[in-house]
Amino acid sequence: MRAISAFMKGVTRMNKAIGVAVSFLVFAMFLFILLEVFLRYAFNAPTVWTNELTQLLFGAYAVLSGGYLLAHRGHVNVDLIYSLFGPRMQAAIDVFTSILFFIFTLALLYFGVDMAQESISNWETSYSAWNPPIWPVKACIPIGTALLVLQGIVKLLEDIAIACNLSYYRPEDHPEHDPKGEQL
Amino acid sequence: PAAAQETFTWKVQSHWPGASSSYKDSLGRLKEQLEERSDGRLKLQLFEAGSLFKAQETFNAVSRGILEMGTISPSYASDKMTLAGIASGLPFAFRNVWEAAYFHQALGFEEMLREEAAQHGVYWATDKVYPTEMVVKEPIESLEDFKSLKIRSSGALQKFLTEAGAAASYIPGGELYTALDSGIVDGAHWGAAQGAYSMALYEIAKYHVQPALNIAGTDVIIVSQKAMDKLPADLQQLVKDVLQEQFWYRTNEYLYKERITLAKAIAEEGVEVNTLPQDVQDHLVQVGQAMWDEEGKRSDKAAEALSMLKSFLSDLGYL
Amino acid sequence: MSTEILTLLFFGSLLLFVFLGLPLAFVLGGVSVVFLYFTWGFDSFYMVASQIWSTMGSFTLVAIPLFVYMAMILERTGVAKDLYRAMHLWFGGLRGGLAIGTLAICAIFAAMVGISGAAVVAMGTIALPAMLARGYDRSMCLGVINTGGGWGILIPPSIMMILYALISGVSVGKMFAAGILPGILLMVLTAAYILIRSNLQPHLAPALPPEERGTLREKLISLRSVALPILIVVMVLGSIMGGITTPTEAAAMGVLGSLIAAAVYRKLDYALLKEASIRTFKLSGMIMWILFAAHAFSAAYQSMGAQSMIEGFITQIPGGPWGIIIAMMLITFILGMVLDPVGIMLITLPVFLPIVESLGFDPIWFGILFVINMEIGYMTPPFGFNLFYLKGIVPPEITMKDIYKSVIPFVIVEIIGLVLLMIFPEIVTYLPELLF
Ligand code: NA
Ligand code: NA
Repeated sequence: MRAISAFMKGVTRMNKAIGVAVSFLVFAMFLFILLEVFLRYAFNAPTVWTNELTQLLFGAYAVLSGGYLLAHRGHVNVDLIYSLFGPRMQAAIDVFTSILFFIFTLALLYFGVDMAQESISNWETSYSAWNPPIWPVKACIPIGTALLVLQGIVKLLEDIAIACNLSYYRPEDHPEHDPKGEQL
Repeated sequence: PAAAQETFTWKVQSHWPGASSSYKDSLGRLKEQLEERSDGRLKLQLFEAGSLFKAQETFNAVSRGILEMGTISPSYASDKMTLAGIASGLPFAFRNVWEAAYFHQALGFEEMLREEAAQHGVYWATDKVYPTEMVVKEPIESLEDFKSLKIRSSGALQKFLTEAGAAASYIPGGELYTALDSGIVDGAHWGAAQGAYSMALYEIAKYHVQPALNIAGTDVIIVSQKAMDKLPADLQQLVKDVLQEQFWYRTNEYLYKERITLAKAIAEEGVEVNTLPQDVQDHLVQVGQAMWDEEGKRSDKAAEALSMLKSFLSDLGYL
Repeated sequence: MSTEILTLLFFGSLLLFVFLGLPLAFVLGGVSVVFLYFTWGFDSFYMVASQIWSTMGSFTLVAIPLFVYMAMILERTGVAKDLYRAMHLWFGGLRGGLAIGTLAICAIFAAMVGISGAAVVAMGTIALPAMLARGYDRSMCLGVINTGGGWGILIPPSIMMILYALISGVSVGKMFAAGILPGILLMVLTAAYILIRSNLQPHLAPALPPEERGTLREKLISLRSVALPILIVVMVLGSIMGGITTPTEAAAMGVLGSLIAAAVYRKLDYALLKEASIRTFKLSGMIMWILFAAHAFSAAYQSMGAQSMIEGFITQIPGGPWGIIIAMMLITFILGMVLDPVGIMLITLPVFLPIVESLGFDPIWFGILFVINMEIGYMTPPFGFNLFYLKGIVPPEITMKDIYKSVIPFVIVEIIGLVLLMIFPEIVTYLPELLF
């Protein structure tokens, strides 16, 4: 039981830390676009790299957000019927619907790994005018999905604990996981 | 025999939007020819650009056998095909479309492409060869004019135009019209006359620049080898025959449509043909040739194709 | 299995899992995978990964985090709060004044962005607390933001119009020009609805009591807070119209403007940037994961043969040309309840357009009707994306039920607008004919 709790805490902490780090990429995207506009407008000298770099950062930024969002209950859902039930019933429903979650994320993980492997095997570049390596961003698909899957396992363990009144997870210790969602 | 009566339906992902003339003229024709000449045993189910796979992903999907057929530009397969750069056009190499056609079909470049694609389980058939030409808002009358241009471009031509001294930047197709209209760029290339016409670029850019930036097999039909192998021998042959005819038919028809589209643009939109001054042309040829060698370095096959191209061009008296 | 039965199963399982409370992104993604397996086999899952990679590579989407970032900075610096204070002082005497002011800001925002989503999240952050704090009815506030936030695709520049132009072959410039008057019409109709409703039921959108409306001096002083938002609008719109940036790049100008505003308010520090970055990450990530899954979902539905099914429907419609146009609107409206707009376009337009043109209708006019229908689709339950984006930012006491209920009158208003455009096509065709 202690191992389970440690695993759950570890994964959640990791996802939260990664999310905070990745969140700053938005500032970088802002700077690069601004730089491109400035160089093009003021010096008539657009670059070949700013927009593409911004694009690559954006891809990583978006796909790496999955696990962080789940740790913060940030993926929105419809609580219309769901909210009529008590916490234990809700947890039981979540255990059931997690099937679809795992079907999606595991299929994505499998082919994401496949795609990334292929890309890494020939150190894929974009073949644009700038021609940067794009394999690191492709690799972010399986990494981001793996983070999401891990957090999904944590969520499943939580739900099982709540549904069956098990001791390894007590929701009252985690007020931020109120099922109604956290205010951003 | 029972096997001969089996019917096959192929999913075909296009890289052209449905309104593009090539969607109907190339894919529509192919579908009609194959269905008619196979007596309905081989059917094509067409999907417009982006429906199932984005353009850059179509080669992979066909290579894996998830899609039976697709259309692409060679540049979308650059990571797999070392010949892609030469196939999608070296700047200022050919001067006439027939030269590119001869290079592909008579000199064996098409066969080289086919061999390289076969390593990825793909049957490669160039749909047509055609020019890529620019439209600009103000005419280019000197090298200075050219170097002061901001041009919407992409891929290898973006690098070429940059090295030639213009300011080339990539802008997605969806924002091209507004960018040209508001003056973020002064010119763009989107195919040639038909492409510019379909994007309504002549509404805002009245000068059609010639000669072409490149002439190349920029549209390609790819077939999954897995799907091909499932067909009986006669249908396999039919697919190959129809694709071979397609090249000649479409190359010719496309040239015709280029000309009448340009004529229409001149008559209806007041477009003028802006022939580049000789010193600008010389400059562009010089910069272009320096770039060719880069493509030759990608593989032995690419080096072979490049030397074949160079000897062809010197036979023609261009080098 | 026929496409009709697959469609029922497809959307049935979608509804089941959404109402069981699984987040939308996972429902869309999971259902796509299951159906791809049964129609196309294991290898087709590659399509899901491939669609995500393609979505990551769409440059126009970069505007989402940037505009959200702008809103988060503005909200934290207090610019937004002061703006609403000023609006309240000036228009507080008018019942529904703040809601109409919010609509006006939405319209300006819509002229700055070509996509939906960013505007809903931004306006939800800025306007919702301000209106709720001044006693506005919850449904009224949610409906206004939902409706106004969706105008991003209706008022040029608009990614939907560009996409329509690409698929149909009409000119982008004409589409943009055609969208202007209908956009104004919808604004006027929505504002009229708010005025009428708040005068019939004053508690929904109360006026400021006369003694709190402030002196002229106070009003004039409050105008200072409007200067910075206007500066930002000028920076964004000016750079688009002046040929300095594309609409996507203009989002960065918005961020720059909000940073200047933060500096003027003496709030620009690391803590502000960090907090804004994290909130932006949560909201943009939510939007992006929905888009990832939605793109996979429409590709899966396409591969099941959705197009030929719709083709079959259309050919059986009675009632002549207008019957067919109305049927097309209905199909789009129904698909809009469950599918993402880009997917709807790719599925239906190749079927609709040749018919529309052969019946002698103007494809530009049809395009505007179609885009308005898409905008309605963004706000119709159960899957209107705006509803989900809004849910992502509202305080926990506001439920999805509140949001669902709030859109009903606004959807009706938009449908009235749609019908008006069908009866008076000149509203659409006047400007493009004048300008081109
Ligand atoms: Na807009
Ligand atoms: Na909807």
